[in-house]
Amino acid sequence: MADNDIKTGEGQGVSRRQFLIGAGGVGIGALAGGFLVKSFFLPEKVFAVPAAEGYLVVDTKKCAGCASCMLACSLTHNGVGDIALSRIQVQNNVFGGFGAPESIVQEQCRQCPHPYCAEACPTGAMHADASNGYTRTVDQAKCIGCERCIEACPFTPSRVQWNPKKRKAQKCDLCKDTPFMTEEGGIGGQQACVAVCPTHAISFVTDIPVQNDSGYQVNLRDVNGAWALLGMPTQDDGSYAPAASAAAPGAH
Amino acid sequence: MAGGYTGKILRIDLTNKSVSTLDSEKYQEYGGGHGMGSAIFWDLCEDKTISAFDPKNVITIMASPFSGTLVPAASGRTEVQGIGPQAWPTELFTRSNFGGRFCGHMKWAGWDGIVVEGASDEPVWVDIRNGEVEIKSAEGLWGLDAVEVQEEIWRIVQNGVEKEWREVGQGRTTQRPAVLTIGKAGETKSRAAALIHDAGNGAGQGGFGGVFGAKNLKAISVLGTGAVEIADPKALMDARIWSMDYAVAGHYDEYQPLGMGSMFGGAPASGAAGYAPADQPKSPMGCLGCHKNCRARFQSGASNGSSCVDYFFYHVYDQAAHGSYTQHILDATEALQRYGINSYQAEAALIWLNNLHKAGILGPGLEIDTKLDFTKLGTADFAKQFLDMMANGYDVGEALHEGVAYAAEKWGRYEEDTKTGILPIQVHGYVQHYDARTEVEWGYGSLVGDRDINEHDFNTLVFWAPSVANLFGAQPACSADQLAEIMAEKLTPYNDPMMMDYSDEGIYSESMAKLVAWHRHYTRYYKQSLAMCDWAWGDFFNEYGPEGRGMTGEGEPKFFKAVTGIDQSFEEGMEIGRKIWNLDRAIWILQGRHRDAEVFTDYNYELGAVPGYTTYEVPYVVPMHKDGKWSYESAVGRVLDRDKVEDWKTKFYTLEGWDPATGWPKRETLEELGLGHVADELEAAGKLGA
Repeated sequence: MADNDIKTGEGQGVSRRQFLIGAGGVGIGALAGGFLVKSFFLPEKVFAVPAAEGYLVVDTKKCAGCASCMLACSLTHNGVGDIALSRIQVQNNVFGGFGAPESIVQEQCRQCPHPYCAEACPTGAMHADASNGYTRTVDQAKCIGCERCIEACPFTPSRVQWNPKKRKAQKCDLCKDTPFMTEEGGIGGQQACVAVCPTHAISFVTDIPVQNDSGYQVNLRDVNGAWALLGMPTQDDGSYAPAASAAAPGAH
Repeated sequence: MAGGYTGKILRIDLTNKSVSTLDSEKYQEYGGGHGMGSAIFWDLCEDKTISAFDPKNVITIMASPFSGTLVPAASGRTEVQGIGPQAWPTELFTRSNFGGRFCGHMKWAGWDGIVVEGASDEPVWVDIRNGEVEIKSAEGLWGLDAVEVQEEIWRIVQNGVEKEWREVGQGRTTQRPAVLTIGKAGETKSRAAALIHDAGNGAGQGGFGGVFGAKNLKAISVLGTGAVEIADPKALMDARIWSMDYAVAGHYDEYQPLGMGSMFGGAPASGAAGYAPADQPKSPMGCLGCHKNCRARFQSGASNGSSCVDYFFYHVYDQAAHGSYTQHILDATEALQRYGINSYQAEAALIWLNNLHKAGILGPGLEIDTKLDFTKLGTADFAKQFLDMMANGYDVGEALHEGVAYAAEKWGRYEEDTKTGILPIQVHGYVQHYDARTEVEWGYGSLVGDRDINEHDFNTLVFWAPSVANLFGAQPACSADQLAEIMAEKLTPYNDPMMMDYSDEGIYSESMAKLVAWHRHYTRYYKQSLAMCDWAWGDFFNEYGPEGRGMTGEGEPKFFKAVTGIDQSFEEGMEIGRKIWNLDRAIWILQGRHRDAEVFTDYNYELGAVPGYTTYEVPYVVPMHKDGKWSYESAVGRVLDRDKVEDWKTKFYTLEGWDPATGWPKRETLEELGLGHVADELEAAGKLGA
């Protein structure tokens, strides 16, 4: 293997040049999504994998904090009701006001263009699953429970989580491995959290979402005018005017 | 045990500051929640005639097999039982429940419920983290309001760590602990004190906040990181998706405002929408796992999570004073929650005080002296002053601290003011919620029970939908014909369309006895034991459903089987409800209940029901069957006939297998339900029906 080859989760080498081309192909959003949380640094030897082909976006101003998404996640993946095992975590300060940044926070995997979790994994268990649109995924058979991926995740709380029963890491796989869901999951399939969210505050998108330091910039409130009909504001400032920007691209 | 249960109930002895466990399996036949709570109370509270404030009073705080699961509008409600101090003239074994996420964390921590016995000699709080339980000094918490104390307990349990995963035993969590607490009203042992959890969740009716105060128990905090086992996870996910078709949640893409009548299908924030300043941005707020999310989060944060009567206690005064709803109603409701006061008591007290003020009886320097300045009624400051009086027991609050019924007795006004109706107490010391003269199933249910039933199963369909439609000259979404047809299908085992007849004859009929019995049995099991939310279930008429049919009858057993693995029919569940209802009845009888005590206050028999006279101002239009046809017609002006109500009671007692002379269950009725041991105790007390 040449020095400038890097190993992906699928065992395929991607050169630095190929990586840059790939990143350009998915746009600046990909870079912003992966690197705003850590300084951008691209050495000669770099770990890189293809961008994921699917993302979950959550509209914090639409979310009711009911945790149905968390219950559905643990139900379909693990067969239990257990929000601690949910790959999406919602933290709800019930006393916080509408629009305040810490009132309600959703924490789901961003499918980083540069997945530090995969880079840190010593066994290749954490990888970009080519069979599932390069979703960053834990191969449970390879995971040795060292937690390096959990520590490497640049987000707080870590989007990779610890399963205390299995003593292995787990994370959002866009519902690829959901033995307790009738519908097929994964890229092109159903995501349990999207399917049950009662306010349609979660959406699956195929384009990398626009984001900044505070997270994805998502407005799912102006679809067909329903939210305004229900008496809820469609704009971040609390107004009801139609959004200038459409809902997250690729949303369904 | 079956799926949905953890197998253990936490038993806390505050007197000895010790904890132990009960085996849930012994009580599993009751389903969970209320049924388990009643059976545990029966076993553990030796003398059921004690005061609510007696240390020997046993309080149960129960989850259901659905708690902490994806069952819609059933995952987050916690049932509280024990002897409550609110009922008048006799304190009664009673119930309340609250939403949020407390029961979910109980289950994830490994507990099907919590039983609280004894009383501490100093203020304490209970810190539960999975299987670890500690009874701790509340020295730094006593005196904090119901919001402050929760934030302080969050800080303690989270040890200052925000957002990050935290270790809890072998597990990890990002979540704040769920805290059930009291405010000032509970600390001062008010009969009007509520238990408060998170924002806007309260168990108000019954006065359990005062019971916590009497036990020197400021709060219970629970944080769980475990799992609720699900018998058939795939079936549960499928059932949840199926149920979404019956809700707004499944129809955003073609959303149109619904006609009234479908509780399950209702809209997000509907419990708070319409009572807030129109220009204040909000988003919905929901209980754990809810598909509906009927409450709201406001930009100001004030009154977050509150709904319905939390606003009704004051919204009309805000509107009258300011021309529309303003920040005053949000701030007033926020104060109500922080003091931890039962909103129904505050609502009734203000109606009554305002009436007395208008009559020149109450005011500065008058017969009932007060510093309250009624020119300020409608402002948040007035509300806060009034609530402070109630919580701390001074000025008019010296009497109202005990709740309106006891206050009326103290002021010597009970008979007069419940005769004129300026104090709208309906029965057993509980104020009128809905009018017994018109919406009789509500009144009758309260009459033969322990409290204002607060069960909206039929209320929206038989009152709100036709009455509001009538105001606008429109037809309700569900016609009277269709309503009778649907109910005849759904209300098994009676299946009698005449149960929907609220005509002058129908309200005293055998069919109305069946409706009340069905309602008592359904709610005792499905809504209070399986903890299915009153604001979503039962689902009878549903505009999204096939031919207007909701899920009730099909949905309840579908979810029960998915979670527990038990193939229990809807009718079998109704029988468990009947068993629980009879067990409760036996407890009330030991506490002195007799047919003679089941009488409405005088205004119900002497004054016609008129809009604006009662707590709600919409005239009653209800379904009636006349000349062989169904229609919605006005029942305004109706009074109840004392003799006919007595005849109806005889029909009801007979239908239930109770002695019509006394209202006491017969041995054969109890034995048929597997309650032979209850019959033995009633017989020993000389209170078994003949």
